Amino acid sequence: MSVAKTSRTLFASGVTRLHPENARIYEGDSGLLYCVVDEKTLYRGVFAVRLFPIRHPENFISLNYTNDEDKDREIGVIENLEEFSEETQALLSRKLAHHYYEQRISRIYRVKLDQDMLFFDAETQRGRESFIVPWRHDRAEEYDEHGKALLDVRDNRYIIPNVFDLPDRDRQELTRYIYW
Amino acid sequence: MPVLTDEVANSDKFRIEENIHAEELPEGLTGALTVMEMNDAPIVFSIRSDLNLEGVGCTSWMIVTEKEAGAVQVNADGSLEKISGPFSLSDAQKVRTFPTVGSSFLQLRIHGLYFDVIRYSNAKRETFGRALQQFERVLDGKAFQSDAISRPSDLVCDKCGLPLPGRGVMCARCNRDHGILFRALEMMRPYFGLLVVLLGMMLAGVGLDLVPPLLTRMLVDKVLVPHQNVTWLPYILIGLMAASALRNVLSVFIGRLSSSISTRITRELREKLQQKLVSLSVDYYNRHSVGSLMSRVLWDVDYFQGFVSQVSQGFLLNLMLVIGIGFALFSMNWKLALLVIVPLPFVAIGTIYFWKYIHPIYYRVSDSQSKMSQLLSGLLSGIRLVKSFGQEEREHQRFEKSAGYMRDNRNLLDRSIATFNPIMSFLFGLGGLIIWYEGGHLVLTDQMSLGTLMAFFAYVGMFYGPVSALSSFSNWMTGFLSAGQRIFDVLDANVSVSESPEAVPLARIEGSIEFRDVVFGYDPYVPILKGVTFSIKPGQFVGIVGKSGSGKTTLVNLICRFYDAQQGEVLIDGINIKNLKQEDLHRDVALVLQDPFLFSATIAENIAYGRPESNMMQIMDAAKAANAHNFISKRASAYDTRLGEQGSGLSGGERQRVSIARALLCDPRILILDEATSSVDTESEQEIQKALSVLCKGRTTIAIAHRLSTLKNADWIYVVDEGRIAESGTHDDLMAQEGIYHRLVRIQTELTRLETEG
Repeated sequence: MSVAKTSRTLFASGVTRLHPENARIYEGDSGLLYCVVDEKTLYRGVFAVRLFPIRHPENFISLNYTNDEDKDREIGVIENLEEFSEETQALLSRKLAHHYYEQRISRIYRVKLDQDMLFFDAETQRGRESFIVPWRHDRAEEYDEHGKALLDVRDNRYIIPNVFDLPDRDRQELTRYIYW
Repeated sequence: MPVLTDEVANSDKFRIEENIHAEELPEGLTGALTVMEMNDAPIVFSIRSDLNLEGVGCTSWMIVTEKEAGAVQVNADGSLEKISGPFSLSDAQKVRTFPTVGSSFLQLRIHGLYFDVIRYSNAKRETFGRALQQFERVLDGKAFQSDAISRPSDLVCDKCGLPLPGRGVMCARCNRDHGILFRALEMMRPYFGLLVVLLGMMLAGVGLDLVPPLLTRMLVDKVLVPHQNVTWLPYILIGLMAASALRNVLSVFIGRLSSSISTRITRELREKLQQKLVSLSVDYYNRHSVGSLMSRVLWDVDYFQGFVSQVSQGFLLNLMLVIGIGFALFSMNWKLALLVIVPLPFVAIGTIYFWKYIHPIYYRVSDSQSKMSQLLSGLLSGIRLVKSFGQEEREHQRFEKSAGYMRDNRNLLDRSIATFNPIMSFLFGLGGLIIWYEGGHLVLTDQMSLGTLMAFFAYVGMFYGPVSALSSFSNWMTGFLSAGQRIFDVLDANVSVSESPEAVPLARIEGSIEFRDVVFGYDPYVPILKGVTFSIKPGQFVGIVGKSGSGKTTLVNLICRFYDAQQGEVLIDGINIKNLKQEDLHRDVALVLQDPFLFSATIAENIAYGRPESNMMQIMDAAKAANAHNFISKRASAYDTRLGEQGSGLSGGERQRVSIARALLCDPRILILDEATSSVDTESEQEIQKALSVLCKGRTTIAIAHRLSTLKNADWIYVVDEGRIAESGTHDDLMAQEGIYHRLVRIQTELTRLETEG
């Protein structure tokens, strides 16, 4: 996936771009992520967040840290992760995985409506499992062009990347209730 | 296979007591301290998670002793493996939960860095929310509170185990006292007498419907075929005419009566909905769109308009007809009558299947109506913005998409019904053919007279009509049930900020306010206020300062009791706000907001909104004191000027002064100014400041302001930071402290200097 490079920031106070020339990222003590910017400032306990987790999951990675005043601050944004060494890419991918915990649904065996709750029996990467989703619009969000992100009663996320990739019967089972 | 719903609902992952253990380790964790290389100190508590640090699903435990904390995971073979720690609690500065997407980490801050202790999925948020509080207590050297375990979960119904979609939300399963249909029938109770009259007329109507075929039979068998009793002819015709006339007269009365009952029920229902919507807390409106709620009041209630006529003239009438005509058919020829009911099982099965199929489609239609309402309401409210950004075409496209969505769903519904009904008619037609065959055979073999067959056929036509209507009734009933469900959803909604039965009436609030260790978050797991304690004396002018998102407006929301604190107490005049009558509270607390809301009414009506009984002079006095009188009197219709929606027709500063006059007229004991002057120009601000100085006299005043210069003369200033009171004192005290307030003042002075130079 190609990402258009921006040669300059739109505003002087725009986001700080991080690239191999100005940022060094490595794993420090106790498995914490460290980042050195301009070979001057060391940030410890860095955490990474995707800024476009659906459309550009491998790019536009925001690096953050918690400052002395206990506030989370952004160090800068990696526009294109591929510019960094493979080692750094692997490290960041591992740290990014820490930030996301979502189940990908591959099959929907049954959906049952009871008391405004949808009881799902579905297959995810964890195996076959059951979960409950309140039958409300805000619990089935749009996910990319044709996908859905279902939020169960406890806000656990169940992703259907593309509803049309589901077998016909499963899709019918889903869209009987999640039709929006 | 167990019942899916119960299997999921009763899963132990929702039970607190299964997940937190105090003082001793649960079974299977013996030896955990050794695995974790922790010192042998007394256990304070342990808590079970469902993930390891890498996000792999497994059982893991965080163990907190009096000296250390750490976590182990339980492997598939039952062995234990250290995943974090041990962390010395004497080194720990703070404990926090760090939410990520779909899971969270419990972290300890040690030497300025946060270390992951354990990770848990969102299913465990409530349990870890409680554990966090206990962990904080441990770090503060306080004792573990056993009610963290014993207190039932706020998010699971303690009766049936069904998870609740939110804190304070009533269980849909346990609190649904009756079905929608039964509740709709219950609404008719006040009209019982009229309904009896209606049913009596319908029974009479059924009787009259049975007469014509009998007279026809007599005409054919006794007059036309044998060419006898010719003098009977006019009498039989008069009988037919009389039966028809009476039937139609009855239809007129039945229609009028059922319409009268339906319109009354609909009006009552709309009033009930409006009352309920007004009584619901602000939190409810955060979760439901105004468009969707409007759709329920405007469209869904219409189903109840048809309820009486559908149930009486649709269902009951047709049922009576089926019974009455069925009786007539069986009494004429029971063998032939049995053939009449041959198609009925197929119709019943088809109807049941169709019901299941069409039920979600009705929801789609209603959903598309609701979405269109939302879109239109947003578009028209923000019409200035749309025009100023030149986005008319884009809005047109959005609306086109929404209209297309509605068209598709309506089309799907209509196509489904249009397919179902002819199939049913075909089945009935087959029944008619069987009767033709068997009845014709009986007539040809002289086992039945022609007149009887004609009467039989007349009855068959009358029989299948109601049966068909009954199967179509299921379509209407499906739509009605889905509309009813949405309506009762609102009527049954929990008023999360309800008045206590022991609420104390207070003739006049003095104006003292106290927060005692208040914890509150709009999302209960993410507290905005984290143990706020402060007090304000009656008549004091208090400023609240802090950055955006620090919790200033949340404080105000709790004083106005738009929400209730999750922990701690808010007291007014020493009484817990939950035990105050809301009417008294709202009478004596007035709010002036940054963006004042004015109703589409006259200026005078807007000023008198809180005190509608005020006379004209009082309204003008309030306007004069609010520096609003001059600009109002210059308008052609002066106080009778009718404002547009949200006060359009007035400038921002004018709207604000009208809202101040409104607050002034209520003579509140507690006045809250939430950024009251931040959205107006300097000149308007001066006018408003003058107005406010009048308004604040003799009242407890809480002013939230970004422009700190407006708070210089405040009796006391509280600085809120990250949900806590970080500093407090007078302006001079705080400047001397050189803390957050001092920094904010410095930044603002610098900004003002730059603006002036610019």
